[in-house]
This record gives sequence, C-alpha cells and structure tokens, in this order.
Amino acid sequence: MIPVLEVRNLAVSYGGDAAVAVSSLALQPGTLSGVVGANGAGKSTLVNAIAGWSRAAPRVSGSVLLDGEDVGSLPAHEHVRRGLLLVPEGHGVFLGLSVEENLRAVRSPPSSSVRRAFSVDEVYDLFPRLRERRANAAGSMSGGERQMLAMARALRLGPRVLLLDEPSIGLAPRLVITLLQAVRRLVDAGMTVLLVEQNVRAAVEVVDTLHLLERGRMIASGPVAAMKDDPRIIEAYLGASHG
Amino acid sequence: MNVAQQLVNGITIGHSYALVAVGWTLLLGSARLVNFGHGQMYMVGAFVAWWVMRMTGLPYLLAVPAAVAMGAVIGAVMQMLMLRLTLEQNLVSLMIVTLGFGQILEGGAGFAFGAQPQRLVSPLEGIDFRFGPVWFTAQDLLLVVATIALFLVLRWVLARTVLGSWVRMVAEDPKLTQLGGVNVALVYMGIFAFEGAAVAFAATLVAPRTPIMTSMGFDQVIMTFVVVVLGGIGSVGGSYAAGLGLGLFTAFFGALVSPAYTTTAVFVLLIAVMVLRPGDLAAGRGFAR
Repeated sequence: MIPVLEVRNLAVSYGGDAAVAVSSLALQPGTLSGVVGANGAGKSTLVNAIAGWSRAAPRVSGSVLLDGEDVGSLPAHEHVRRGLLLVPEGHGVFLGLSVEENLRAVRSPPSSSVRRAFSVDEVYDLFPRLRERRANAAGSMSGGERQMLAMARALRLGPRVLLLDEPSIGLAPRLVITLLQAVRRLVDAGMTVLLVEQNVRAAVEVVDTLHLLERGRMIASGPVAAMKDDPRIIEAYLGASHG
Repeated sequence: MNVAQQLVNGITIGHSYALVAVGWTLLLGSARLVNFGHGQMYMVGAFVAWWVMRMTGLPYLLAVPAAVAMGAVIGAVMQMLMLRLTLEQNLVSLMIVTLGFGQILEGGAGFAFGAQPQRLVSPLEGIDFRFGPVWFTAQDLLLVVATIALFLVLRWVLARTVLGSWVRMVAEDPKLTQLGGVNVALVYMGIFAFEGAAVAFAATLVAPRTPIMTSMGFDQVIMTFVVVVLGGIGSVGGSYAAGLGLGLFTAFFGALVSPAYTTTAVFVLLIAVMVLRPGDLAAGRGFAR
C-alpha cells in the first residue's frame, strides 16, 4: 500500500543540539499509529516538524511526503491547506473566542473521498458538550473541553492526516478513554491519525501500530500486538503484570 | 467662558484624536506593535490629498480616497519590510524601525512637497452651523460622524466576522493561528494596511482645520500614543472614550488655563493614570471591545 504520509531522514535541532533524527516513518491510510516515549524523548518535536510548525525556531531537514508531495519546506498554513493537521499539546484553542467562533473561523475545504471536512453541526454531534457550550468563551472551559474543541477545529479543516500531540494530558482517566475511542471511530471511518501519547496503557488499546521514541530516535516500531510484548515497552510503560 | 462652545470644540477635537488613533489601536491590540511612524503617516496622508487636489484639480472629496489608498500601500509596504521582526515579536527593534520609517517618510515628504506650510482646503470648512452661542462647521460634523461610523464598523468586523476572528486569533496566538490554516503574514499585512488607510483618512478629515507641514508628524504621534495608552492598550472602545475625554480635557484646559500647557497637562494626566491604575493599561485579549 502507498503510505499517505512518509517521513524520510527527518532531523530537528535546536541551536545545534540534535533533538530528533528519524530515518523513516510511514502512515498507511485509515490507520492509527501511536508514538510513545518518555518525557523529552522528542515526541512533540517530531510531530511539530512533520506539521512544519513550532513555537520555537528549530532547524529542520529531511522530507515529509503527503500523498507523494514533499511539503517539508512549506509554511505551516500550507500544510493545513493540504490536510496535514496538527492538534498541538496543551494550548490549542483561542481562549478569547467563543466555542462557535473557534469552529467557524477556519475555512473548510470541499469534502472529498479522502478528506472529510466536518460541518459545525457534525462536530457538535461528535462532541455534544461543545454544542451545549457553543456561546461560551473557550477560556472558560475545562481542559478536556478545550481538547475536544481543538480536535473539533482540526476536523473542520478536513484532515487527510491528523497529528494529535498528547490529547490526554491533564484529562481524567474516563475522559481519556472517551477521547481515544472517538479518535478510533474516526480512523475506522477512514481517517489517518498519528497519536503522540504518554499514556501508553490507554494508547495500546486503540492504535494499530506503535513506535517507541527514545532520545529522538525511533528504537522500535511494529504492529501493536507485537509491540505489546516488547520487553522495552513492558518494562518502561506497562509494568510486569501486563498481559 | 462659553461652556457650550468649549464642549463642542472638545467633542470635535476628541473625535479627531480618536480617529487618528484608531489604526494604531488595532495595530497594538492585534499585532502588539507600537508604530512611531504613525504621525508621519498622518502627515503623508494630508499631503497626498493636498498634492492630488493641486496636481489634478480633483475635488476634496475625491482626494480623500486617493490619500486613503496611498496610506494603505504605505502600511502594507511597511509590513513587508518588518514581517520577520513582527513574527518574532521583536518589539524593541520594531519600535526603532518604525521610528526610522517615520523619519524617512518625513524626509521624503520634505523633499517631495517642500518645507512651506500648506493648506488642505475642504469646501465643508466654509459651511457653518450656528445654534445660539454655539457654532461648528460641516467639516467638524463630518469628522464626528465619520469617526463614530468607523469605530462602529471596526467593532462589528472584529466581533462578528470571520476576518475579525482572524485578527483576534492573531492577537491571541499567531503561531496557533497558522494551525487554523490562516496565512498570518497576510493578516498582519491587512492590519498594517488598515492602520495606514485609517490614519490617512483621519488626516484628510482633520488636517483642513490647521495648516499642514511636513514636520507635523511628531505632535500627532505624541497625542495618539496618549490616546491608545489611556484607552487601555489596544482596546477599540477604550480608544474612542480616551480620545473623546482627551479632547474635552484639551478644550477646557485650553480655555481655563492656557493652550500653551495642554501637552504638558496631558502627560501629567497620563502619568497619573498609569501610576494609579496600571492594571487597566495592560494589553489584554479583550481588545475587540
């Protein structure tokens, strides 16, 4: 199968210090891939670089192919236009705008067989809580609601590939499961998602493929069924009692 | 003292302050930028209108859009030159660059238009309205009405349109705005073009009240700075109120004490407000109000 997204020889450094060096990563259409690793392993740096975006000023080299087109050198908003969407870690919504303004201020592309752009009503159906709070300022919402809103905004933009950076951070355990199940349903409907997750226990329940990142390098990759038995994963994240 | 007349004078001057400041208010509220070239952009707006009327014989009301268009171009060019600094929010460099930009405009205008004072003549200056002890001109009336209209339109655009949402998004978090698929550089350019167009528009309405000189930019920049700071950095409604209040203060201070000390008094007022209520002056995300 031809991957939707392919990363080749991606290297990211901050002021001369190498942060990430990934020689290859490919996402197959309609799959959910997880990237796990310790704090500081470079997970956010990796997905930010794929999206061509950063809050800092890293030096990035290598190529990011979206449906065969190298988008690596394009500015962040051009990635968005092509359907490569990032929901960044933490602060991902505009606090001064209402929920509805957050959703309406983006321009949805026309829906196609490979890019489904959700209408505002469709994202409200997916996250009913947002409909209840549509007129509220995003700044008045809880962390979980903000995370839903950030994801909802990305869905409005018709993701070809959705990059989710630690969507579960700061959420109550039950909400984490709800959120990841919602992601799984989107993938089952055909979306391609790369999920960065520190909550490995929750991630292994939903992903198809798992990548283990350590000090900026991909040290293990494979189908989740096999990776669950990888001693490095068990030891560091799942504990001896698992499966 | 003719209190009613000073009230009318204060309202007129106040609206002129507010109108001159509106572009800078948006610039400060959305792009967090201080533009010390603002006064010279005002001066250029007035001179472009004067020059168009003189060279082409166009009437005043057609010279206004010409000056506004030129103002928008100057604003856009300024943004192109400063884009990298804007994206980095390198504020100290930006202040110095805008200061230098203003000096270049002033030098260029002196070269192009000469050092002599000129008059931008509006036919509306000659139309008087008298009500008992009070009088004002049609130009004053136009100034007040246009200022109120522009502020209302700006507030409506910011609060109710997608374009306004983009400006507020850029104000809150330009990096995150990129992830919404918005070309942030274009939004910044639009904001600068608005700033340039708005100050040129203000110049064409305000400048007919006094002789125009290519050196008049500095006085404008000072008063505008006071308006945007008193208004609560970058607050649209606040700037309107601050402009109006400052106009009334100027009119009554001038009548009761002396016009010669007005600027000094305004700064005493500014410092007093900043010392007593510094919290109100902080840039906030509520600038669209």
